[in-house]
Amino acid sequence: MKEQLAALRETALAELQGMNDPKQLEDFRVRYMGKKGSVTALLRGMGALSAEERPVMGQMVNQLRQELEEAVAAKSQAIQEALQKEKLAAETLDVTMPGKKEAKGGLHPLNVVLEDIIDIFQSMGFDIVDGPEVETDYYNFQALNVPEDHPARDMQDTFYMADGLLLRTQTSAAQARTMEERKPPIRILCPGRVYRADEVDATHSPVFHQIEGLVIDKGITMCDLKGVLEQFAQEIYGEETKVRFRPSFFPFTEPSVEVDVTCSECGGKGCRVCKGAGWIEILGAGMVHPNVLRAGGIDPEVYTGFAFGIGLDRLTTTRYKISDIRLLFENDVRFLEQFD
Amino acid sequence: MYISLSWLKQYVDIDVPVEELCDKMIHIGFEVEDLQDLSKTMNNVVVGKVLEMEKHPDSDHLWICQIDVGTEEPVQIVTGAQNVFVGAYVPAALHKSDLPNGMHITKGKLRGVPSNGMLCSGEELNLKAGDFPNAEVNGIMIMDDTYPAGTDMREVLQLNDYIIDFKITANRPDCNCVLGVAREAAVALGKEFKAPVPTYTEAGGDINEHIAIRVEDYDLCHRYMGRVVKNLRIKESPDWMKQCLRAAGMRPINNIVDITNYVMLETGHPMHAFDLRDVKGSQIIVRRAKNGEPFTALDDKAHTLTDNMLVIADAEEPSCLAGIIGGLNSEIKEDTTDLLFECAKFRRDSVRRTARTLGVRTESSARFERGVDTIGVEYAMERALQLICELDAGDIISGVIDRHDGLPSLRTLVVPAQKVNDLLGIEVAFDTIVEILNSLGIVTTIENGVLSCQIPANRDDIEGCADLAEEVMRIYGCEHIVSTPIRGDIIRGKKLPERVMTDKVKSVLVANRMREISTYSFIGSKAIDALNLAEDDARRQAVTLLNPLGEEYSTMRTQLLTSMLTVLATNYNRKTQAVRLFEVSKRFVPKALPLTEQPLEIPALALGLYGSEEDFFTLKGIVESVMDAFGAKADFAASSEPYLHPGRQASASVGDAVIATFGEVHPDVAGAYDMPIRVYVAEIDLQALFAIERPRTVYKALPRFPAVERDLALLCDAAMPVASIEKIIRTAGGKMLESVALFDVYQGAQIEAGKKSVAYSLKFRVPDRTLSDEDIDPVLNKIFAKLKENDCILRS
Repeated sequence: MKEQLAALRETALAELQGMNDPKQLEDFRVRYMGKKGSVTALLRGMGALSAEERPVMGQMVNQLRQELEEAVAAKSQAIQEALQKEKLAAETLDVTMPGKKEAKGGLHPLNVVLEDIIDIFQSMGFDIVDGPEVETDYYNFQALNVPEDHPARDMQDTFYMADGLLLRTQTSAAQARTMEERKPPIRILCPGRVYRADEVDATHSPVFHQIEGLVIDKGITMCDLKGVLEQFAQEIYGEETKVRFRPSFFPFTEPSVEVDVTCSECGGKGCRVCKGAGWIEILGAGMVHPNVLRAGGIDPEVYTGFAFGIGLDRLTTTRYKISDIRLLFENDVRFLEQFD
Repeated sequence: MYISLSWLKQYVDIDVPVEELCDKMIHIGFEVEDLQDLSKTMNNVVVGKVLEMEKHPDSDHLWICQIDVGTEEPVQIVTGAQNVFVGAYVPAALHKSDLPNGMHITKGKLRGVPSNGMLCSGEELNLKAGDFPNAEVNGIMIMDDTYPAGTDMREVLQLNDYIIDFKITANRPDCNCVLGVAREAAVALGKEFKAPVPTYTEAGGDINEHIAIRVEDYDLCHRYMGRVVKNLRIKESPDWMKQCLRAAGMRPINNIVDITNYVMLETGHPMHAFDLRDVKGSQIIVRRAKNGEPFTALDDKAHTLTDNMLVIADAEEPSCLAGIIGGLNSEIKEDTTDLLFECAKFRRDSVRRTARTLGVRTESSARFERGVDTIGVEYAMERALQLICELDAGDIISGVIDRHDGLPSLRTLVVPAQKVNDLLGIEVAFDTIVEILNSLGIVTTIENGVLSCQIPANRDDIEGCADLAEEVMRIYGCEHIVSTPIRGDIIRGKKLPERVMTDKVKSVLVANRMREISTYSFIGSKAIDALNLAEDDARRQAVTLLNPLGEEYSTMRTQLLTSMLTVLATNYNRKTQAVRLFEVSKRFVPKALPLTEQPLEIPALALGLYGSEEDFFTLKGIVESVMDAFGAKADFAASSEPYLHPGRQASASVGDAVIATFGEVHPDVAGAYDMPIRVYVAEIDLQALFAIERPRTVYKALPRFPAVERDLALLCDAAMPVASIEKIIRTAGGKMLESVALFDVYQGAQIEAGKKSVAYSLKFRVPDRTLSDEDIDPVLNKIFAKLKENDCILRS
C-alpha cells in the first residue's frame, strides 16, 4: 500500500505540474480528493489494514491529502494570477488616444476681461453700478461741462433719437447720476455699452464698451489717481508695469491726462506692438472738473475727485491680439471658444 | 494742425533734433499725429545741365543726352521728352535714386543705349501747377540757372524740412495757429518766444472815404475791424510764403489771398478780403440774414439762409457768410485794384450752427467755432498790413474802422498756491509755479502764498484753480506725479443685485455648455418682420435713431431674437455642426411714441441652439435650470408665438408673469435666415425672473427610512398633457407621496388609436417609519380614482 501511495503522489504531482486551466484544476481536485477521488478511496480501503498499520497509513494518507490540497491551492492562485496578468495585458490601451472632453460653455471675451477688471476695482472698494444707455443730453453732455454748441461735442459723433435724447457716447454719463444718488465718499465703477456714429471697420464700431471710474472724497489728488491706475495696470499687465501720464483734454476733467502703460510685450524697450514707443495708451483720466462736481450737487471747495474711462473693447483686442474689432460682434463660435 | 519746422523756427530758436522737439511737445500736451521728413520724399535727384543731345539711332522720339550733374564727367541719360534743349537746367534722377511716387531709378539700357538715370517732370517730383515754375509742363521741368548743376533738388525745392502734425485739443483754440504752437514749443524747450512786431507804412487818405461799416447784431459779432488797401499789385507770393502755406496743406493763389491765409495760419484769426468794387453802396452791414435770403458761396454752391445766420452784406445783398465762406460776388480777382480787409470775432456757437446747418466747413469756420479771441483781432490785421508792405502788394489807406460792443478786460485769478499743489498731490515750489505760469504768458505774482494771475485774452479755457494746476503740471512734468495707494475704509465694493443675479444666470448657462455672444443693440427697421409678428404686436413699437449709420442699424431692438437668429445663421452658414448660444442684453421699450422720455431698458436673455443632439426638451431643460437657480416654480403651457413651431412652443409663467417663451423656430422663420434645420430659441425676461421672491436655501434632513416605490402605467387621451396627469397624481397623493417621475410615454400599435400610454414611478415616504402596503394602498386607490375621473385608466 505504501508503494501505491507513493505512486499516486508522484502521478498526482506530475499531473498538477503542467496544469494552467482552473477547470482542469477543479477536475483534478475532484478526481483525487472528491468523494469518489483516489485519495478518498485510499482512506476507504484502510478498513482492510491491520490495527497497527491503520493509524500509520491513515496519517500518511492524510499527509498526502493535505499536501495535494496545498498544491491545488497554490496552483489555483498561480493560475488566477496568470489569468489576470493575461487579461490586464489584453486590456492595454493606447494612452496617447485623445481624452473624452465634455463640451464647455463660456463668457464672451469682452466679459471675460470685464470680470477681471470688476474684480480688481471691487477689491479696491469700488461699487459696480449701471446707467441707462439711452441718455438725456443733460447727463451725457451738459452735466459733464459740455454745453450745447460747444466744440467738445465734435470730439464724438452722437446718435440722437429725439430732441434731448441720445445714445450715451460715454459711460461718464453715469457721473452726475451717481453724484445725485450718493454722498461722498464716492467710489464707483460703471461698465457699459456706449455708442458713437463711427463707420464700422477693423478698429471702429458704432457700439462699444467703456468702464467709467469715479472717486470723490476730501483731499483726493492726481497722485491718488495714479496709484489706483497703477494697481489696475499691474494686475492686468503684470507686476513690472509702469504708468505714465500725458497732459490731454476732456471737458469733464481738469487737469486731464492720457494714461500710458509700459508695453507688456517688450517691457518698455520698444517693439512692433507699441510701434517702438515702449508705451501703450490705455485710457483717459483726470481730476473731476469743478463744474461737474457742482452739477452733481457737490461743493468743489470741499471735495475733489478723479475719474477715468477704460475702453473695454481695445483692452480686449490688445490682450488677445485680436486684429479686427468686428470679430467681437460676429460671434463665430470658433472665435468665442478661444477665450476660456 | 500741420506746421513746418522751418516756420516754427521763425519764432523759436529750436536747436534740438525734431524728434526731441516732438517728444517734449507730447509731454506738455500736444500729441504729434504725424512727423513727415520732406527730405525723404526724394533722394539722389540733382540739378542737371544739358550739354549735348543726339537722336537715338533706333528710335524716332528718344534723345541721348549728356548731362552735367556737377561731377567731373557728364552722365548719359536717355529721355523721351521733346522739350529738352542744350543748355537747359533739368531735374536729373541719377542711378539709385528715389522719387516721391515711390519709383526707384537705376541705370539700364533704352533700346540698346545705356541710360544712367532719368530726367524728371514736375509731376514726377510731386509738384503741382504753381508749386514751382514749369511744374505743370507736360515734359521735363525746365528750370532757370539759379542753382548750379549738381545741386540737390531737395535744396532747390526747399525739402530739407519737416512737417509736424500737432493734435490741438478742443480747449486750446489759441494753439490752432503757428504762433500758439511756437509759444508752447518755446516753453517746452526753455527758449525765448519771438512774436513778430507788426510795423507798416500808411499811404495816407482816409478809410471813411472808401467804406462805411455797421454792425447790427453785436450779439453774434463782438468785433469787426476793417482796413482798406488800394492800388493792389496782385502777383505770385514769394517762395517762403508759398512754402509755409503748402506745408500747412493750403494752395497758394496770389499774394493777397495768400496773405489772408498766412495770417490765419500764423495768428489763428481768419481774415477776409473784399474786392471794393463789388461792395455795393460802399457799405458793409453785419446783420442777420433774412429768412429765405439766397447766397452763392465762392465755391459756386447756392444756399438759402435763415434769420439766425449772420452775414456780411453790402447795401444790397450778403457778400459773406460771417466767418464761414465768402461769396462769389466779392472775391479778389486778378484785376482787383482796391480791397477791404476784414478781421472779426464772431460768436462761436452761431458759426457752428450755421456751418452745420448749411454743411459748409472751412478752415475759417473751424477756427471761429473753437473760438478766436477778441483782442487779437487787431494784431492779426496789423500783421496782414505788414505783409502788404513787405510784399509791396498795395498802398495802405490810413485809418481803421473798429466796431465792437466793448472789448473784454483781462481777467485776474486769485488762487492760493497751495490749492494747486493740493490738487496735484505734490509740492511744487511756489517760485516754480510762478515761473511756469509767467512762461506761458500768464502774468503771475505771488504774495503771502496767494497767486495773482492775469489771464491772457486768448486763454478763455483758464477759469480756475484746476486749470492753473493743469498748466503747472504739464510744464513741471507729469512724471513728478507719484502713485499713492488708495486710502479710506477697507471695504470691498458691492455689485447691484441685478448684476449679481445676472452673473448667476450666466454661470448656470455656461454650466449648460452655452457660449455667450454680444451683438449690436440696434437692428434694421425691417429685421423684426422676419418674426411674422402681428401688426399690432408691441414689439413692433421701437425707438428709432434720427441719424443712423444706415437702415440696418436704425432701430433699437425690442427683442433679442432677431440678433440671435442672425448669429445662429452665421455659424450654420460656416458649417459649425452644433451651437448653444446665449446673450444677456437690454430691450428698449418706449413708454410712448414719438419718444418724449427715456425708454424702458429691460434686461433680457436670449437662448439659441441647433445641432443633432438638440430638441425641444434640451432647450426646455436649460430654461428649467435657469428657473431652478432662482427657485422659480414655473407653470409651463403651450404658447402661440408666430415665429415658433405651432406645436412645439411653450411659455413659463410664475403667477401672472410670463418669464420665458421658447420652442422650435417656425420653419418659415428659420428658412428666412437660410437655416433649413431645426433651430431652438428662448427669450427670458430677466426683470421678471429677478423679481420672483426667492426662497432661502435651507437644509433638509436626509431620510432615515427607505422609500416605497410603485410604478403606474396609464392609458389616456393622446392630447392630454402629462403635466396635468402629474398634477392629479400629486394632489391625490398627499403628503406621503415624495416624488413622481415620468419614465415612459408610448403611442402606437400596441394601444388604441388616439390614446397614449404614460408610465410613472412614484415614491412614497414618511420621515418616522417604513411604509407598509396597508399605508400605501388607500393612497394609491385615491390616485387611481382621481385619474379615472379624468379619463386616465390604469393599464393592467
